[in-house]
Amino acid sequence: MTDEGKVWPTGLTLGEAEEVHSYPIDGTRVFGAIALIAHILVAISTPWLG
Amino acid sequence: MNNAKMWLVVSPTVGVPLFLGAVAVGSFAVHLQVVKNTSWVADFLQGVPLGTGDKMSAADVDSSKLKVAKASYALDTVAGTEVTVILPDGTHAKVILNMPEQHASHQADQLPLTITR
Repeated sequence: MTDEGKVWPTGLTLGEAEEVHSYPIDGTRVFGAIALIAHILVAISTPWLG
Repeated sequence: MNNAKMWLVVSPTVGVPLFLGAVAVGSFAVHLQVVKNTSWVADFLQGVPLGTGDKMSAADVDSSKLKVAKASYALDTVAGTEVTVILPDGTHAKVILNMPEQHASHQADQLPLTITR
């Protein structure tokens, strides 16, 4: 039962909180994708992971 | 969106730097330990084949653990040069040194003969 227009202790409404949340989520996805590619390349080209 | 409500109680000015800082510190710590505990990163950075560092350290002799003989005497005999070594514990050992001979069975990649007492 969240009031959409309610201003919470951080000064944000639910809509604003969801917008704020979308940026770390997108950033994490991009970071994770780059890191995944980098780790695959390292696993192939070095003794890492045996 | 999942967990978006956290920003209703955690200020983004605190939560975002905390999150990014945790990722940075965690990532740095893991990579530091990889650099400290493996040799292939250093090999890569030095442009040598990976595994060179391990071979070098395996062949390395820790000179601080070697005991130095107090004295040695060399005497030319018929059999070759006879060397008497007085060992740190007071005992002595004799070694006959002959001129190097190369046998037909010699292989170039063979390690030199090591004599241990």
